[in-house]
Amino acid sequence: MAVAELLQYVVTGLLVGGVYALMSIGLALIFGVMRVVNFAQGDFMMLGMYLTYYLAVAWHTDPLLGAIVVIILTLGLSLIITNVTTMVLSPMPRGIKTAYATRAFALGAVLVNEARAYAFLMALLLAAVVYAFLTRTDLGKALRAAADDPEAAAYQAIDVRRMHALAFAIGIALVAAAGGLLATYHPIEPTVAVNFIVLMFVAVVLGGLGSVPGAFAGGILIGLVQSLTLLVLPFQLQNVGVFIAFLLVLYLRPQGLFGRRLRSV
Amino acid sequence: MAASGRLRGWLPIALVVVAGGLLALALRERYHHRILTLVLLWATMGLAWNIISGYAGQTSFGHQAFFGIGAYVTVLLILKAGLTPWLGVLAGAMVAVAAAVLIGIPTFRLAGIYFALATLAYPLILRIVMDFAGYQEVAIPMARERPTLFMQFAEPRAYDLLALGVFAATLALSHVIEGSRLGYSLVALRENEQAAEAAGVDTFRCKMLAYMLSAAPAAIVGAVYAHAILYVVTPEAAFGVLVIVQTLVVCLVGGAGSKWGPVIGAAVMVPISETLDATIGDRVPGIQGVVYGAALVLIILFAPEGLYWRVRGLLGGRRPAPTSSAPAPPAAAPVTGGPAVIGGDLLVVGEVSKAFLGLQALSDVSFAIREHEILGIIGPNGAGKTTLFNVLNGFLVPDRGEVLLRGRSVRGLRPSAICRRGVGRTFQVVRSFPRLTVLDNVMVGAFVRDRQRERAEARARAALGVVALSHRADAAPTGLTTLELRLMELARCLAGAPTLVLLDEPLAGLSGDGVGVMIELIRRLRADGTTVAIIEHTMQALLRLADRLVVLDQGRRIAAGAPADVTRDPAVIEAYLGTRWLRHAESLRT
Amino acid sequence: MTRRIAVAALVLALLTPVAPPIAPAADDLKIALVVPLSGRWARQGQLKKMGAEMAIDEINAAGGIKALGGAKIVLREADAGDSVEKAVSAAQRALGRDKISAGIGAWLSSFTLGVTEVAERMQVPWFTLSYADSITERGFKYTFQTSPESSVQAEQALDLLVDLARRNNQALKKAAIVGDNTAATVFFFKPLREKLLKAKGIDIVVDEIWTPPLADATAIVQKLRSTQPDIVFYGATNFPDSIQVLQKVKEFGVKSPIQGVGAWLVTPEYVTTVGKELLDNIMSVVAAHPLKGQEELVERFKKRTGEPFMTQDPLMAYAHVWIIKEAAEQAKSADPKAIRDAVAKLDLRSGPAAATLAPGRIRYDERGRRIGAVPIVVQWQGGEPFTVVPAEYATRKPVWHGAK
Repeated sequence: MAVAELLQYVVTGLLVGGVYALMSIGLALIFGVMRVVNFAQGDFMMLGMYLTYYLAVAWHTDPLLGAIVVIILTLGLSLIITNVTTMVLSPMPRGIKTAYATRAFALGAVLVNEARAYAFLMALLLAAVVYAFLTRTDLGKALRAAADDPEAAAYQAIDVRRMHALAFAIGIALVAAAGGLLATYHPIEPTVAVNFIVLMFVAVVLGGLGSVPGAFAGGILIGLVQSLTLLVLPFQLQNVGVFIAFLLVLYLRPQGLFGRRLRSV
Repeated sequence: MAASGRLRGWLPIALVVVAGGLLALALRERYHHRILTLVLLWATMGLAWNIISGYAGQTSFGHQAFFGIGAYVTVLLILKAGLTPWLGVLAGAMVAVAAAVLIGIPTFRLAGIYFALATLAYPLILRIVMDFAGYQEVAIPMARERPTLFMQFAEPRAYDLLALGVFAATLALSHVIEGSRLGYSLVALRENEQAAEAAGVDTFRCKMLAYMLSAAPAAIVGAVYAHAILYVVTPEAAFGVLVIVQTLVVCLVGGAGSKWGPVIGAAVMVPISETLDATIGDRVPGIQGVVYGAALVLIILFAPEGLYWRVRGLLGGRRPAPTSSAPAPPAAAPVTGGPAVIGGDLLVVGEVSKAFLGLQALSDVSFAIREHEILGIIGPNGAGKTTLFNVLNGFLVPDRGEVLLRGRSVRGLRPSAICRRGVGRTFQVVRSFPRLTVLDNVMVGAFVRDRQRERAEARARAALGVVALSHRADAAPTGLTTLELRLMELARCLAGAPTLVLLDEPLAGLSGDGVGVMIELIRRLRADGTTVAIIEHTMQALLRLADRLVVLDQGRRIAAGAPADVTRDPAVIEAYLGTRWLRHAESLRT
Repeated sequence: MTRRIAVAALVLALLTPVAPPIAPAADDLKIALVVPLSGRWARQGQLKKMGAEMAIDEINAAGGIKALGGAKIVLREADAGDSVEKAVSAAQRALGRDKISAGIGAWLSSFTLGVTEVAERMQVPWFTLSYADSITERGFKYTFQTSPESSVQAEQALDLLVDLARRNNQALKKAAIVGDNTAATVFFFKPLREKLLKAKGIDIVVDEIWTPPLADATAIVQKLRSTQPDIVFYGATNFPDSIQVLQKVKEFGVKSPIQGVGAWLVTPEYVTTVGKELLDNIMSVVAAHPLKGQEELVERFKKRTGEPFMTQDPLMAYAHVWIIKEAAEQAKSADPKAIRDAVAKLDLRSGPAAATLAPGRIRYDERGRRIGAVPIVVQWQGGEPFTVVPAEYATRKPVWHGAK
C-alpha cells in the first residue's frame, strides 16, 4: 500500500472524526454533569442544521458563520420532536450549496476536502474553547466540581441545579454547532439524527462516560476506525469495525480511554 | 414477594389468559385481531426483557438481538430446508440461548450503563451482517397446501391464540421465577450485587441463567412476529432500534420488575398507538407520533416507576409496611452458660498479602480462627481490617498467601461459593436489599441451605426469631432503625447456617442499649456453636466479648493472643491504643 | 386478590377495540393508498398521493366510472409510517374499515411484500411500483407489479446503455458498481455482477457496496478516479449518502458517466442540494418518467402541486388509478374480486394509463407482472430530468460523454 493512500485514509478518518468529536463532547458534558443519557441529542443537532440552513438561505449568511451564530441562538433551546419538524418543515431533504463542499486542498497526493477541513478546524477550535472554559474559568471549574461530586460541590456553595442547566445548555449548543458545521456539506432532513446518534454514544463511551476530552478523542477515534477498517474489512462492514472497537474498549477498559477507574469495593 | 398461597398466584394469570382467549373469540374485525396479537406479542417481549432487566436489573438495550435471531433462524430454515416454523421456533430459541451465553460471558463483567451500552452493539452488528449476507428482504414463502404446518392461517384468531400461547407460557415462566430461589437471587443482586454475592448468591450464574431464560422467549416472539405481523423479515424490522424502543416503552410504562408491568404496558400503549394511527394518523400523518410522544411523557410523569407500581401504591397495595408500631418481643434470654469449648483451627490465614495500585493493604498476615471462639480483629483506620475480611469471604483474591477453611483452600472461590461453605459476613455499612421486605432479605440468605421456597421461608423466620426481629418481618428495610438493620443483616447471614460469621463493626452506630443487645446476641451465637470473627473499634466491647484478639497495623499483624496480653503489648500500645488506653485498661482491671 | 382482578379487568378494558371509523357514501369506488406519509420516506408517499389525487380528480370531473352509473372514486389513504409492522397494520386497517375495491402501495419493497400478503388474504387487487422480483414470485393472485422487476431492469438498462455508447462510437469495457446494500440496489446489481456484464465482455473494475449511512465517500471515489471506468452503475438510495458521493465525484474530478439505478436519483431535492451543474448528464433507470406526448399532463401536475417536474412516484400512482378505473369499467362492478379478474384480462392500448407507461400497452401475466414493461432511462439536462431512452418516447436526445 502506497504511503499516500494510507495517508489519505488517515486524513479522511480525521476529518470525519472531527465533527463526530464535536457532537460527542456536548453529549459527554450533559452525561458527566447531569448523569442523563440524552437520546434527544441527535434531534438538537438536526435543529442546528436547519437553523444554519435558514441563516444561509434566508439571510445569506455564510454557513460557517451561521454555525457560530447557532451557538448563541441555541442556548436554552428546548425539546422539539422530529415529527413536528417533519410536519412543519416537510420531509423534503434540503442542502446548502457551497463551493467548498466540492473543493479540496491538495497536500501532495492527499486531497483534503475544504468543507470538511473547515469543519474540522472549527470543531477543534470549539473543543479547545470548551476545554479552556472547563479548566481555566471559575464557572468551568464549578461545573466540573458539580460533575465529580455533586454533594461536595453543594457544600462549596456551588448551585448544582444551575450547573445542570448550564451543562445542558452548553451540551445542546455544542451539538447544534456540530449540526451547523455538518450542514455545510451534509443534506438536512428531519430524520438525519438516526445516522449519528449511535456513533455519538459510541464516542462518549470510548472516551469514558462524561469525560469531555475523552469524548473528543472518542469521536476522532471513530472517524479513524471507520476509515482504516476499510483496509481490512469490506465496505459494508465498516461500522462493524467501529462496534468491535467499542466492545473491545468496554471489555478491556470499561472506564473508557480517558475515564477514571471506578472506586473499588 | 411475601408468601401467598401457590394457587392464589396462578388465579390472576388464568384470568388474564382466559380474558385474552375470550377476546380472540369475540373480535370480528381483522385489524382488531391484529391489535390483540400485537398486544400479546409485545407483552411477551416485555416479559422476556423483564427477566434480565427487571428482576435482575441488568438493563439490556440489545434484546432485539434475540428477537431478530428467532425471526431470521425460523424464516431461513423454512427457505433453505423447508423446515416447519413450529420446529424452526425451537431452533431459533436454541440459537438465541447460545447467543445469550456468548454475549453474557464477556458482558456480565460490566455493570450498569456499561452493560446496557455493550449489549446495544450486538444487534447493531447483526443487522449490518444480515445486510452484508444478502438477507435484506426475506419474504416468507407461501404454503397454500399446508397452511397450519407453516403457521400461515387464514383465520386471524389462530394468530391470536398462537400469540396467547407464547404469552401465557412466558407469563407462567415469570411467575415461577418470581417465587423461586432464582427470583429472590435476581432481585437481591439487582438491589445490591455484593451483598447478594456475600449472602451466597452466585451472581454470575444467576445473571447468565436469567439472560438465557430471557433470550428464549424473545426469540420465540421474534419468530411468531415474523409470521403473524410482518410476513417479510428485514434486518431493520428484526434487529432495528424500533424493536427495543417498543420493548422499553411497554416495560417502563407498565413497570419493570413485576410480571404485570409489561402486560399492563402492552395493553395500554399498543392500542393507544394503533388508535392514534387509525384516527388522526391517517388524516394528519405524523401527528400520531407527536401525540404518542406526549402520552408517553405524561404517563411517565404520572408514574415514573410504571403504572403497575403506581396503581398498586395508590390502592395501598401489599408493599412492605412502613415502620410498624408493634412492640418488640422480649429478647431471647441472656446466655448464662459458660463459654463453649474452643476447638481446633477452623480457618487458617497464611501469609496473605494484597496491594492496590502500589499501596500494600495487607502484607504477610497470618493467624487462625479456632472453632467456637470469638476472635476480635482490631487496628487503626487503614490497617487493612476490611480488606482482610474481603479476602476471607472471596471479594478479593490475595496476591500471595493462602486461606484454608477446614484445611481446604478457598483462594479464588467466588464469595457465594465461600458462603455456601459456611462463611457468612456482615458489612461495616449495612447492605440491605431496600426494595425487599425484611423477611425477603433474610430469605435470600436462607436459600443457601434450602432451594425449596417454603422451607427457606421457615429458615428465614427462624433466623428472624433468633435476632428477635420477627415482628418486623413484613417491614421495609428503609423504615428500620440502625439496630434493626444490623439485626436483619445478621439474620440474613445466619439464615444460611454458617459455621463462621465475619462481623464488620457490628456495633458501629448503635446506642448503648443496642450495643448490649448485639453483644448478647453474639454470645448466644457462639453458645449455639457458631464461630465469630469481629472487626470492631469499640475496644471495651471487644474486651468483654473476644476470646482472642488479632491486631493489624498498616497491613501487618503486629500482635495476637488473649485480650489481656495483647492490650499490654508495647507494639500495640504504640501503634493503636496509645498510652492513655493503657491507664484506662489498668483501671478496668482493678 | 381483588386488586389483581381489578388489574385483569383493566387489561381487558384496554384491550377493547378502537371505535370503527366513519362510513362513506355507498356507491363510491374506494381505492386504498398505503404509503409512508410520516417518517423517513414521507416525501415519497406524498408524491404518490399527489399523482393518485390528480388521476381521481380527472376521472371524477369527467363523470366518474360510467359502467357504475358515474360512481366517483374516493381515495382512502393510510400511513405506512417507517416500519413493516406499521405498513402492514395500515393495510389491514384500510382494507378492514371500508369496502375497498383496489389498493396501491407501499413504495418500499419490504413494505410491499408485507402489504400484498394482507391484500391477498383479503382478496383485494393490489398495485405496486416496487421493483423486487420476490413480490411476484410468491404465486399471489391479487398482486400486480407494474414496474419492470429489478432483474429485467438491469438487463434492459444494460442493453440500452451499450447501444447508446456504440452509437457514440464507444465500446464499454470497464464498469464500476457502486452503491448501498438496500434491497432495491442489491437486486439490481446482482444480475449485473453475476452474469450480464460478463456476457457483454465488460470487466468490473470497482465493486464497492456500503451499509447506509455512508460515513465518507473518499475511498470509493478514489477508486473511481484511479480506475476510470467507462460506466458507473450507481445505487445510493439514502439521500445524504448520494450527495456525499456526488460531491466527492466533483471534488476528485471523476469524469466517468454515471448510470443510477432507480428513481431516487431523479428528485427535485438534488437540484436544490448539489446544483444542476453537478447533476448534468447523470442518467438513471426508472420504471416510469414523463414520455413524449405527456407534456400537457406534466404541466397540469406542476400547476396543481408546485413541484418543478413530475417523476416516477406520482406518475405510477396516476397510472394505477387509471388502470383501476378501466378495470372497473370492464368489470362493471366495484367488487374487488371482479376487478381483479378484469385486471387479469385487461389489455389497455390507449388512455392515460397506457400513455404513461412504456411500451404504451398494459397487460399483466398470470404472476401479476406487466407484460412487456420496459424501463426508462432518464438524464439530467440543465437541472431537469428528461426521458432519453427508449428513443421513441424520449423527450430529449441523450448526451453521451464517455471518457474517450
